Amino acid sequence: MIKVLFFGPVVERIGKKSLEIGYRADMTLQALRDELALHYPHAFEIVCFFAVNGQHVRDLALPLADNSEVTFMAKFSGG
Amino acid sequence: MKAAVRIQQEDFSQDEEILALKASSRRMGGIATFVGCARDFSEGRDVSEISFDAYGSMAVSEMNQLRSDAIAKFGLLDARIVHRICTVTAGDNIVFIAAGAEHRVAALEACRWMIDELKLRVPIWKKEVTPQGEAWVSSHP
Repeated sequence: MIKVLFFGPVVERIGKKSLEIGYRADMTLQALRDELALHYPHAFEIVCFFAVNGQHVRDLALPLADNSEVTFMAKFSGG
Repeated sequence: MKAAVRIQQEDFSQDEEILALKASSRRMGGIATFVGCARDFSEGRDVSEISFDAYGSMAVSEMNQLRSDAIAKFGLLDARIVHRICTVTAGDNIVFIAAGAEHRVAALEACRWMIDELKLRVPIWKKEVTPQGEAWVSSHP
């Protein structure tokens, strides 16, 4: 199972703070992103940062391990 | 003593943070601080409240990395970063950054660098409440 977390403006567009997605052996971050973007295109319009297990990821080809925590994030605005 | 890097709901004391910074080294000759606070006006609109959301565990991890990077990059003796995650109104404190170094130039440059990097690297989001409704802030001037 992959746990997907959302925060701030992405939560508002998706309507929930998290999702659980069944794990597939060949799953990459790109595949997960594309799958979710099909269901939530309005939310993924503003997604520009990705994290896996709390670490920034820039290579969407990253293979995901089972039980990963994946986050799709909008531009930050802290401070 | 409180951790040098924190996110928290409650307000922070600048005096306590500076005392903690000073306690880390007797060689400290310059301390630069930045306090970000809430405004009642933004992008041409009145703002009644600002609320924050954060990916808490990652935010703290990134802020710790940011502190370590600043200490290494500018040769600081110590640094502290505190960000509130709550709802604030005009005048309330939001973020505190302090850089302590042997001399002023490193402290001043590091303080500016840390707040700029925080806005780019740390997963925190700000929402403004205005008479026209609520809006997440996407820019970070």
